[in-house]
Amino acid sequence: MDSAVAQKTWELENNILAAEAPDPSSDSIFYYDEVAQAKFLKDKPWANDPHFFKRVKISALALLKMVVHARSGGTIEVMGLMQGKTDGDAIIVMDAFALPVEGTETRVNAQADAYEYMVDYSQTNKQAGRLENVVGWYHSHPGYGCWLSGIDVSTQMLNQQFQEPFLAVVIDPTRTVSAGKVDIGAFRTYPEGYKPPDDHTSEYQTIPLNKIEDFGVHCKQYYALNITYFKSSLDSHLLDLLWNKYWVNTLSSSPLLGNGDYVAGQISDLAEKLEQAENQLIHSRIGPLGTSRKKEESQLAKITRDSSKITVEQVHGLMSQVLKNILFNSVGQPKRNEQPVSDPMIEA
Amino acid sequence: MASSSSSGLTFKLHPLVIVNISDHYTRVKSQMNPPPLTSTSTTVNGVEPLQQAPRVYGCVIGVQRGRTVEIFNSFELLYDPSTHSLDRPFLEKKQELYKKVFPHFYILGWYSTGSDAQESDMHIHKALMDINESPLYVLLNPTINPAQKDLPVTIYESELHVIDGIPQLIFVRSSYTIETVEAERISVDHVAHLKPSDGGSAATQLAAHLTGIHSAIKMLNSRIRVLHHYLVGMQKGDVPCENSLLRQVSSLLRRLPAIESEKFQDDFLMEYNDTLLITYLAMFTNCSSTMNELVDKFNTAYDRHSRRGGRTAFI
Repeated sequence: MDSAVAQKTWELENNILAAEAPDPSSDSIFYYDEVAQAKFLKDKPWANDPHFFKRVKISALALLKMVVHARSGGTIEVMGLMQGKTDGDAIIVMDAFALPVEGTETRVNAQADAYEYMVDYSQTNKQAGRLENVVGWYHSHPGYGCWLSGIDVSTQMLNQQFQEPFLAVVIDPTRTVSAGKVDIGAFRTYPEGYKPPDDHTSEYQTIPLNKIEDFGVHCKQYYALNITYFKSSLDSHLLDLLWNKYWVNTLSSSPLLGNGDYVAGQISDLAEKLEQAENQLIHSRIGPLGTSRKKEESQLAKITRDSSKITVEQVHGLMSQVLKNILFNSVGQPKRNEQPVSDPMIEA
Repeated sequence: MASSSSSGLTFKLHPLVIVNISDHYTRVKSQMNPPPLTSTSTTVNGVEPLQQAPRVYGCVIGVQRGRTVEIFNSFELLYDPSTHSLDRPFLEKKQELYKKVFPHFYILGWYSTGSDAQESDMHIHKALMDINESPLYVLLNPTINPAQKDLPVTIYESELHVIDGIPQLIFVRSSYTIETVEAERISVDHVAHLKPSDGGSAATQLAAHLTGIHSAIKMLNSRIRVLHHYLVGMQKGDVPCENSLLRQVSSLLRRLPAIESEKFQDDFLMEYNDTLLITYLAMFTNCSSTMNELVDKFNTAYDRHSRRGGRTAFI
């Protein structure tokens, strides 16, 4: 069948590991081995290697809770803690809970406000059968991407000194809703003065102009970890069945309506960046060919990529609207040519 | 024990609650049945793994607005089945903690796992009645049955019925719908289908987006087919004519076309044009960037300041 071949090629292109049908034995990840964990904590293999932890595994429950909490904050940054355990060079996040703290971008260690809450919550959790310890913190960057700001870097460095092993996760709920896929990043900072061995290129993301300085100054002080997700066999089963009920929501979602403000903000930000790039290009019209040219070019190339991203999201939203229009509105009308114009898909 | 409810309340359940309950159950179950330490121990080693199916208990919280009850979240409870006692201070502590972070949510009821509601559940139900006069009981059936097509979650309410002259509280089943916010839907989708988490090329994003919509439309199509099949059967006379059902179908059909006003068409076309404009601008930016690169490359190839001065061999 055609679609089967297409699916295989797509999976191959994107290196999707065939999700083995989760059998009950894979639920062993949910088992908390107290003894092994205590031993690992004593050994502290991360003390000598700043790059020790490389992967993060997030459970379905933790992801859901974090995204919902981040979204409920609207445009205000919210934060919370994650519970889990370690497994070799991976940090496993089993659960997350919200903290009653707001405005995390204005001070270092906003967690200090919520220590009492943290202690109470951890205690009740242990009683209720969740034995894992706090293994990291998460917070939201509504609308401006997943990276660590200067304040975040200081907070995380503090955490990594006293509360190892600790992980920082950032979620952008606005971009999640706009793009239709979860925008999340997991980071660990390097200790003070440590120079990372190579300049590995992280995945590009657009940063609004007013934040780009903060991003640029600190982006070398931390590294991103690879995120994978897992769920229990019962979870998979339930989620499959859940699809039978909420396919309605998929069809009825209207991303264009919800994200008008955000898109407008993005476009005006892009306009500013364009002006900046223009100024730079004008001022270095004549000059020695070399690396300086490359900088401005990549500036313009970045702007192009940003604009394609915004456009692609817009077009997707419009496609949904047009499809719904065809499905539900053209009944009883003579068949008009309502096909969406084949928009040139801009390759990033 | 379970007939249909008559309280007239509509229930909306969020997927987060379902994942919460499932996670609680999986946790307790795996803690009780430690995984075998060696991979070769497939034979029974004393305790057969995955045999015990514990019952877990917890509280559901959410919002009640008028006749609509929306269940957003849940947390665990401590309950001793042998003494039928609920750990009160624990419940209060948890309630306080959750109130700090989600001030709008109230305790709406409790949940448990199992295949059917039992007599002993009434005890917990009555215990919660002093917090909420009419608590809900959400029951999740954790046995995985691949043939199952329906979500194994049922919501029970309690009603006072007179049985044998004695007024008794019994559980009655209620129907519910799944309600979700956009962010929740995306993350559930993400985990359920393990979509590629990085940007991918524009083509992959498009494919992912369209696949989602395609599946949704396929579901709609299959549901409509069922209705159609039924109606054809009714017309032929195979199925007895049921007027109430016919009325429902007719009212459904009369809702199409969904919107047909002038204003809608105008707004729709305006949005369409806006998107086309954005595409146009993006293409413009793309073109100017490529042009810029071309000019730079041209300048490099035909460098005026080189000793040759001008045309070098054009390869």
